[in-house]
Amino acid sequence: MKISRNWLGTFFDRSLPEAPALADALTFHAFEIESIENVRLTKSNIEDQILDVKVTPNRGHDCLSHRGIAKELAAILDLRMKPDALREATSLDHATDAVSVSIQRSDLCNRYIAGYMQGVKVGPSPDWLKSTLESIGQRPINNVVDATNFIMFNLGQPLHAFDASKLKIENGKLNIVVRNAKEKEKMVGLDDNEYILAKSMLIIADGNADAAIGIAGVKGGKPAGVSEATKDIIIESANFDGASVRKAAQALKLRTDASFRFEQGLSPELAAYGMHAVAVLIQMLAGGEIVGFADEYPFRTRRVLNPISLTLAKINAVLGTSLKDSDIADAFTRLDLPFKQNGDSFTVTPPFERLDLTIPEDLIEEVARIVGYDKIPTTPLSSLDSARGKPHVNPNFAAAERVREEMMGKGYSEVFTSVFAEKGERVVANKADGTRPYLRSTLVPHLKDAYEKNKHNKDLLGLMDVRIFEIGTVWKGRTEIMMLGTADKSGVKEIPLKPVEADSYEDHPLSTTERYQPFSKYPFIVRDIALWTPQGTEPVEVLDAIRREAGTLLVRSEKFDEFKKGGKTSFAFHLVLQSFEKTLTDAEANAVMEKVNTAVKEKGWEVR
Amino acid sequence: MAENTTRGHMHPISSFIREANRIFFDMGFAFAEGPLLESEHYNFDALNFEKDHPARDMQDTFFIKDEPGYLLRTHTSPVQVRYMEAQIKKGIQPPYRIVVPGKVFRNEATDMGHEAEFFHIEALAVDTDITLAHLKGTLAQFFSGMFKGTQVEVRFRPSFFPFTEPSVEVDMRITGENAPEKLRDKWMEMGGAGMVHPNVLRNAGVDPEKYQGFAFGFGIDRLAMLRWGIDDVRLMHSADLRFINQF
Repeated sequence: MKISRNWLGTFFDRSLPEAPALADALTFHAFEIESIENVRLTKSNIEDQILDVKVTPNRGHDCLSHRGIAKELAAILDLRMKPDALREATSLDHATDAVSVSIQRSDLCNRYIAGYMQGVKVGPSPDWLKSTLESIGQRPINNVVDATNFIMFNLGQPLHAFDASKLKIENGKLNIVVRNAKEKEKMVGLDDNEYILAKSMLIIADGNADAAIGIAGVKGGKPAGVSEATKDIIIESANFDGASVRKAAQALKLRTDASFRFEQGLSPELAAYGMHAVAVLIQMLAGGEIVGFADEYPFRTRRVLNPISLTLAKINAVLGTSLKDSDIADAFTRLDLPFKQNGDSFTVTPPFERLDLTIPEDLIEEVARIVGYDKIPTTPLSSLDSARGKPHVNPNFAAAERVREEMMGKGYSEVFTSVFAEKGERVVANKADGTRPYLRSTLVPHLKDAYEKNKHNKDLLGLMDVRIFEIGTVWKGRTEIMMLGTADKSGVKEIPLKPVEADSYEDHPLSTTERYQPFSKYPFIVRDIALWTPQGTEPVEVLDAIRREAGTLLVRSEKFDEFKKGGKTSFAFHLVLQSFEKTLTDAEANAVMEKVNTAVKEKGWEVR
Repeated sequence: MAENTTRGHMHPISSFIREANRIFFDMGFAFAEGPLLESEHYNFDALNFEKDHPARDMQDTFFIKDEPGYLLRTHTSPVQVRYMEAQIKKGIQPPYRIVVPGKVFRNEATDMGHEAEFFHIEALAVDTDITLAHLKGTLAQFFSGMFKGTQVEVRFRPSFFPFTEPSVEVDMRITGENAPEKLRDKWMEMGGAGMVHPNVLRNAGVDPEKYQGFAFGFGIDRLAMLRWGIDDVRLMHSADLRFINQF
């Protein structure tokens, strides 16, 4: 989520630290920062820094807004915020009879507030609002729509405005209905796309016309969209069920800033603050008169979050710290979590938007991240009671380890191949790349492929023949079993791996390799050279001379023959030539061999 | 060409698991395992993933056709619940300490940094008095063992996983002369960890009023890539001896 540093600044009296410092504060105490971008808005020439904040799914309730991030920064950096909009009393007691709201699915819509305004002047937004929205990549549309977007990015409550004149009036009343869509009911969205809805989807309808005007929490409809000609508006500030919005957005492939927020699950209390803030802003930007609010809030009384009690001892017992009660009180104060302290006991009543706080461990995490994870000591585990003995040895792993050693001892190298196959007994329903959807019922085909592929490289690898093995899972006869497969020149075989009962693991060697060396993906060329040398010449002497001359194209060289005759020694070497940049031609290989031949002749050795 | 009479080569992942298991065995952790074709119950529900919650989006899951509720496990964490459940069934209360190396799956396109099948290593310690500080201590010991002769530092950052509370991301930094130059003095992301969520203990039949624990899960491929300077994760499943025979 894009967060503007300038925008964050509006929540504080004093100027904020630079973006990298904010990013650090968030990284180590709240959320990962994906990027920091310096921007200069072309029209206004305003400079800003944009943080891309990765809000964790548990904090989608309260942190998908500038207010939420400002609140975090206030707690982390111990900064004083200006009065918090969500802590002020809001009143929507300006009720109206001109609009009625009826919620048919109160399980999927916890609250719906319709705000009715008349006589607004729709037009371009002032520069400050345009540049504020542009700073986070939003396109300004008009003052009414921009106001709804601004409040969403400011406070986190998605909002929508309808043109009230496009809605039918019956008995002097507008009628908003929140209901399920009818099968195949159609609606053209503000994006001009026609959406065909399903029964499971929740929609907003003009009750008097029985027509869909919005897909709940996802998208507004074109027919009741706000235009330059709009004078009267209905503003929607509602609370929709996260799972229901998520399913609708997924089915319609329409993920919007609104749906993304509803998916997280928002507090229905937030709707009132959103409505209040947007009504004030629209009046400021577009004038008009607030006719009143229709607030349908079916389960209002259930909305208080439960207090959570915990003790200092519990906090220290989970974190392994020796924090004092004053540290705890300080963390809760900075986080603006109302609490009561009784000695070492604390009772916190989470504010309405903190739906993530339900158990003591949630609060322990709050304390830990505000105090700082760098304050957690590094404590080794104590040894387990000797009466329990050594850990149990896993028979399958013991078997795999033993077999691995046996096979390597016989010159076999270990490969892993994919569990996905062309054939099998069980199949993946949704494989992203669409290929090889089956789960293998045998190791054989992949091992055969691997053998064939490696066979071509045996000279490069310096192998007489290729021997490979795999210890891997197959799915056969409705069970998952571990197999040992081998591939060599005699063929490809597999047998089930038999568990090994043991008291301890055998002490097998580890790889001693320090660093992996990337290899060329291009084909190689093998050339042999045989030569006579005076007796007493060491093969390494000859190899050194060859290697010096052949240069970097020579990737492998080894002696494969040696014999003595008439006071001379004959050596024969395999030379493997390969380029990192391209496929080597015969001519290039010949050129290397000519250089080598010339050089060894100069040494007085005779090429056979 | 005497190569074939000498030893074959071990896959670097196997060497890594062998070494990690040795370090954890010495710390009292038993090697545990579970099925790759796992139930939604163990992979998600028992690990406190709410149904239809965005947290499930964090894992791109392969589902099994015509077997509703079954999938290829997206992490090794289901083994936490399976192991504890099995112990409780046998009447064995904590302390529990297990290490779980194994294959896991993500339904995504592959590239140099991403594979649909890869390896995780998980550890779980449960007792009356296991703390987040023990997690730090255990990780320091593990990393010191894996990067011998270097100084290891462990750092936590806040995070979220449904099955831990508090949840952290683990970073590691190695310093000192013996640290590979490319890795020296750099913080590297290791993976997720935290204190086991009380609901997970409860779901496994362990009393969260009495017991608590830590867990972590890291990608082995990534650790092995760091350790040996491997530049492409796809090499791990390439079955290419030009790669494997270097180990």
